Amino acid sequence: MMLHVKPILSSLMRNKTGPLLLLVQIMLSVAIVANASFIIIERLSLMQRDSGVEETQVFTFNLYAFDTDTDIDLDKQRQRDLAAIRRLPEVIDASTINMSPLGGGGSSSTFTVGESQETSQYAPEAPIFYSDEHLVNTLGVKLIEGRNFYADEVITSGGEAPTLVLVTQVFAQKTWGDESPLGQIIYMGEWGDYPVKVIGVIETLQGAWVDREMNDNSLIFNVPMNGAFHKYVVRSDLDNIASLKEIIPALLHQDEPNRVIKGFKTIAEYRQSAYRAHELMATVLGMMVILLLLITSLGLAGLVMFNVGRRTKQIGTRRALGATKGDIVRFFLVENYIICIIGGSLGAILALQLGEQLMQLYSLPILAPIYPLLTFLGLIVLTTIAVIVPAQKAAMISPATATRSV
Amino acid sequence: MFFYYMDLGWRSIKKTPYLSLLMVLAISIGIGITITTFNVYQQMNTNPAGERSTQLFAVQLMSQGKDTWPDINAQITYQDAMNLRQSTIPTRQIAMYKTGAAVQTGDANFQPMLENIRATDSDFFDLFSVPFIYGAPWDKSIDVDAAYQVVIDADLNQRLFKGENSVGRELYLNQMPYQVVGVIADWHQSPKYYDLNNGPFSDPESIYVPLSLAPIEEFESWGNNQSWNTENIRNYQEGLHSETHWLQYWVELESEQQVQDYQAWLQAYVKQQQGLGRFERDDARGEVSDVQAWLDFNKVVPEDNKILVGLSVLFLVVCLVNMLGLLLAKFLKRAPEVGVRRAIGASRLQIFAQYMIEVAMIGAAGGVFGLLWAWMALSLLTSRFKLGEALTQLDLSMWIFAPMIAIVSTLLAGMYPAWRICRTQPSIYLKSQ
Repeated sequence: MMLHVKPILSSLMRNKTGPLLLLVQIMLSVAIVANASFIIIERLSLMQRDSGVEETQVFTFNLYAFDTDTDIDLDKQRQRDLAAIRRLPEVIDASTINMSPLGGGGSSSTFTVGESQETSQYAPEAPIFYSDEHLVNTLGVKLIEGRNFYADEVITSGGEAPTLVLVTQVFAQKTWGDESPLGQIIYMGEWGDYPVKVIGVIETLQGAWVDREMNDNSLIFNVPMNGAFHKYVVRSDLDNIASLKEIIPALLHQDEPNRVIKGFKTIAEYRQSAYRAHELMATVLGMMVILLLLITSLGLAGLVMFNVGRRTKQIGTRRALGATKGDIVRFFLVENYIICIIGGSLGAILALQLGEQLMQLYSLPILAPIYPLLTFLGLIVLTTIAVIVPAQKAAMISPATATRSV
Repeated sequence: MFFYYMDLGWRSIKKTPYLSLLMVLAISIGIGITITTFNVYQQMNTNPAGERSTQLFAVQLMSQGKDTWPDINAQITYQDAMNLRQSTIPTRQIAMYKTGAAVQTGDANFQPMLENIRATDSDFFDLFSVPFIYGAPWDKSIDVDAAYQVVIDADLNQRLFKGENSVGRELYLNQMPYQVVGVIADWHQSPKYYDLNNGPFSDPESIYVPLSLAPIEEFESWGNNQSWNTENIRNYQEGLHSETHWLQYWVELESEQQVQDYQAWLQAYVKQQQGLGRFERDDARGEVSDVQAWLDFNKVVPEDNKILVGLSVLFLVVCLVNMLGLLLAKFLKRAPEVGVRRAIGASRLQIFAQYMIEVAMIGAAGGVFGLLWAWMALSLLTSRFKLGEALTQLDLSMWIFAPMIAIVSTLLAGMYPAWRICRTQPSIYLKSQ
């Protein structure tokens, strides 16, 4: 098949400005679309990460006990509250917790591990949950090795250091490699201070900070938090959550009225707020990509349509001299591909440069070369569609009408 | 002549309706996207301190021990806050932190509310220029000798006292009685530069209590507490003497000289504390940053926004190039017509002006539609992402800014096609007619 590149090239060269503008447009489009879609994919994959929690079934809420009567035993109070909540028929399980997974704020810490003082080293920073034997079931996280706390192992007298810990698989892997984590000791503080023994491994549990790398390293300690400010976590069926928001405060106020109970929020809702910025970024960039492609292809189609009008005589003459309809369509397509290939290649280089700049200025990962390549291929398809419609119209020009005025 | 050209422009636009529509669409979408991202960026990037910005300074101390993180903490410890107060150099200075309590009135039926509280010094209100509706801050002596006095905001005054002058009235915080000494007007700093812990666009506290009550009432910190030391803190009093960072410290320094004196004083303070065995790091130091530097240090404008603004400007360029290509094609098709006009006496300048006016009309339409898109996009983002009106309100300046960049950028883009067309040689076209 003859592509007749040479006459097309020479016609392009005779009227440089129009094709040049198209070239610049394609170049910039490739650069923008490649980088934008890269960021979109990156954000979407961040948002896909599993928290390990039954997010739609689990909700947390806050209690603030403001009674100045210092005789109130907050530990006993908490145990009574949780027992009452667990007795509710709608509730699957309930527990106390110090922070909401994906909640944005809470506790994290680093620990010391090692055989001896000399070989001791820091374990990776980890989000820490303080709770009791009900937390695993309440959150719906999977225990894949070892066991949960027994009820009598939970330290309820408040203010004391924990003795047992459940670790996430990720934390175990980072800290002890392929060694079994069960029975290992982590120290809160310097080596030797406050030893805590690992008794179980959890498959996945994320902490409160979705944007921090350490978020997957969560630990659960066998000491519920103690104090005036409190957080409970409850799991129930999705349909019952709305009614529980009414039932639970009434129930707890019966026992002790002097407290404010509020802030009911499911982990799914926390997820939504936690990833809002990423979702926003992905949405705006997505809008940009779609509109950009729309404008580029519409502009291209408009331009070709216009050129068809201008070249009516030329096309008619060619048809009269024996060119087939396919030849005419092919002419426009080849013209487009020449511009596309040059513009797209330059655009890919520009995209990588832009990606490099973005990586240096901001905390973005480096642009993978597959993105400019895919954008380039996508653009070829899109421009083919944009060109083929007006080109078909051009091919319909009858030689007679076109050459009549000559 | 101007109106005549406008009429000609309108006729020309009508002659190629789809092409004109395409141009307006391209330019308006480009403007719309740019205005949307720029608006959010600008709202985040404002400095609410205004002219006070260069006189207010956040104080930071590099007080961590060896083998800790290398970044200077945004907050300071309670013991340092008490020590910094000894300096006589600043015109005003305050320490503060965010806390909260259950609020009740004397009315037994009143449902207790959990409110955010700022524990601070009496100079807070003058330092940050907080307007009062009733009363005044508590007396300076209370910063040393604690008393149960509060300043509340207009909104809480409405909820508790139906908006009346409540100075002298009583409210209960965690069941302790407090006397209201002042009511401030709605005062919402966005970004909330004086305490960025709970997000730069979070709401202000509704109650202000003397910081001197903290050791007595043991108000918990509801902001950030950062600790580098492995000390075991068992109770509130130990927290006060610990190395935990949890207070914000601000000073007012009115002259360059005062700033230098204060910096020297801070250096001397660090030296003195080193003598006592604290501030172990080699880079132990004190730093002051004015409001703008403080906002930059805390990265109030997220990186994402800068990336979006950058990409949207590139987007606008694509739209302009797109329009430029269409304009060129359109104008060149009209060359024969221009040839005739030139032949019957129109000057190049007149042709140029005529086509520039047509371009400006397209630009203006693009600007108007661009504003419309921006407004739609912002409303959409507000409802979808609960961004808060502060961020997504279309800034007043945008109403002028949007059409202006639309017209200016289309004029710049249109210059080349208009120049090409005005150089038309009449003879060529006359011959072929």
